[in-house]
Amino acid sequence: MSSGEAPSAAMLTVFSERRSDLVVTAREVKAEGVVVLTLADPGGGQLLAWTPGAHIDVLLGGTVRQYSLCGSPGDQHAWRIAVLLDPDGRGGSRKVHETLRAGDQVSVRGPRNHFPLHAAPRYVFIAGGIGITPILPMVAMATEAGADWRLWYGGRSRASMAFTDELEPYGERVVVWPQDERGMLPLEEILGAPADGALVYCCGPEGLLAATEQHCGAWPPGALHLERFTARPQPEPEAGEEGAFEVVCQRSGVTVTVPPGTSIIDALDQQGVSVLSSCLEGVCGTCETRVLDGVPDHRDSLLSEDEREANEYMMVCVSRSRSDRLVLDL
Amino acid sequence: MTDPQYDGAGAGDYPLNCWYVVATSDEIGRSLLGRRALGRGLVLFRRGEGQVAVLDDRCPHRAAPLSMGTLDGDQVVCGYHGFTYAADGRCVLVPSQRNVPYGAQVRSYPVQERPPFVWAWPGNPALSRGTEPPDLPPLREPGWAVLGGSLEMAVNYLLLHDNALDRTHFPFVHPHRIHRGYVEDPPPLQIEVTETTVSYSRTFAPAPLADWQEQATGLPAGQQYVQRESGTFVSPALHVDEMDIVGPEPAWQVFRGVFIRAFTPVDAGRTLIIWRAARNYAQADEAVAERLREVYEGTMAEDRPLLEAIQAATGGAGGYQVSAAADAAAIRAYQIVEARLAEERGRVHPLRHGGRP
Repeated sequence: MSSGEAPSAAMLTVFSERRSDLVVTAREVKAEGVVVLTLADPGGGQLLAWTPGAHIDVLLGGTVRQYSLCGSPGDQHAWRIAVLLDPDGRGGSRKVHETLRAGDQVSVRGPRNHFPLHAAPRYVFIAGGIGITPILPMVAMATEAGADWRLWYGGRSRASMAFTDELEPYGERVVVWPQDERGMLPLEEILGAPADGALVYCCGPEGLLAATEQHCGAWPPGALHLERFTARPQPEPEAGEEGAFEVVCQRSGVTVTVPPGTSIIDALDQQGVSVLSSCLEGVCGTCETRVLDGVPDHRDSLLSEDEREANEYMMVCVSRSRSDRLVLDL
Repeated sequence: MTDPQYDGAGAGDYPLNCWYVVATSDEIGRSLLGRRALGRGLVLFRRGEGQVAVLDDRCPHRAAPLSMGTLDGDQVVCGYHGFTYAADGRCVLVPSQRNVPYGAQVRSYPVQERPPFVWAWPGNPALSRGTEPPDLPPLREPGWAVLGGSLEMAVNYLLLHDNALDRTHFPFVHPHRIHRGYVEDPPPLQIEVTETTVSYSRTFAPAPLADWQEQATGLPAGQQYVQRESGTFVSPALHVDEMDIVGPEPAWQVFRGVFIRAFTPVDAGRTLIIWRAARNYAQADEAVAERLREVYEGTMAEDRPLLEAIQAATGGAGGYQVSAAADAAAIRAYQIVEARLAEERGRVHPLRHGGRP
């Protein structure tokens, strides 16, 4: 979108996210279809700090893909990501698998964390397949913090599940659950009784996320934390629902009309108001914007029901407005 | 994270899990230095083998400042009753009795010295492990001449960050220090963010230099030069500005000045500013150094009365009625700090389920 382009004369500020050119220092096949890459600054320089749950954008040609950091946050000179080859995917993982070798350059943005680990006395971690990546540094942090935790790690088959070797030292706190040996993760058993003060962290395919959400019905609000890698299926807007509305950018003093079929972010860009963005699908959270007045029509895959109702923030790449006018902190 | 020395205290508005500059290397020797910073009294000294130690400047016995005592080898001897502490804060001797009272321990802080700065970590020591203070190449690489100083302002550190990220006050507060590019059709600010940093940058169309720029670079007057400037909120503890002037062809020499400011909160209303200014030109020229010193010190002196008045009016609590488009970088910095504070206090940040701006 607006990032990286030459600013138009009308623009007062142009937002972009810092891009780093890194080098692949190691490439290792960790499980069937899973490649683990270690990335470092070509000059050996310090990398940005991050916390468990963080991800980076990997820029490959025209594609941008998000990968969780799965190394150690204490290591400021190397990052690690794990990439699952998805033959039916959009081609990003194939590019990584087929083109990236040790010694290659790779551009990244981030890290950013939309899935941070909050302090709690106990945790239930649920990982499905490659969803183990953000969870891996989380269990290390939970261990260091002295928290009580258990990880349920499901996958297609044992051979397809990465990092089981690194999880071994945690002993029986980790339950490895290959589907071909044991069936689906027993969510009923895992989430049946809400544990006092416990938080649930879940990352994996959409089916697992949806099932986990369902099983958490009896848990206190805010206990469940999910990370999605792809957009949540959205209900189709009803005919006639997609009307035009007005967006007032409070700081810039600019008012923009958003017609049907145009996103808020595009309408703003045309009027010289730059908003930071990345995925443009309501997944990554980069374009999160504070709402000062009006009622958004949330269409993102990030905000919880409570957060949607709080009316404080919205993702302007996909969300629209229920009111005729939105006032945003831009 | 449990650590016997970490009390989690600190009701300040600055993150504790962060490296802050508490002194410069040349201030610390084989004697005790008392320093008020980060909402507490600190005592600093250099051990026999050269490492810097930072302890609370308060004897657990009767609260005498340890900096009023003496350094005996690597041990601090309280000047009141002779309670003696090792460099890690452990009490090793109480002259009036055979044993050391249970709990006689002074808090010590993780320290990293990167000359000329001495960084300390006021937060949870466990979280400092494996992390490093920001790297500042102009202060360690050859080819740079560096000058600097320190001062205290009666201003909250966030207001100093806000001021440092803001270029639109220059035509009003520092009118004789800017070149024409600032007022004649200034280019848009390019704002670049990461989760923990924000920077602005802009490249000006060719314009004549300000007087001090001509004097410092020795570039011929009356000509137009391309200039680029940027400023980065590196962490709650550090702001770095860079200013490039591109010299004439065919060399296109880049005259770069890097202005590094460590902002260390003393308390909610005071900040210690330890600054360094590095340049990659006229390295041995004392007259240039003096001219630049006047520019950096003068600019801060011009900001000072306004910032102190704003501090007095607001208590440093922010709460401004209106922001403008040009405040985008500063607002981002506030959000970064707010997210870090929310995370430290174990609360869910309003933006996201916590942990990021």
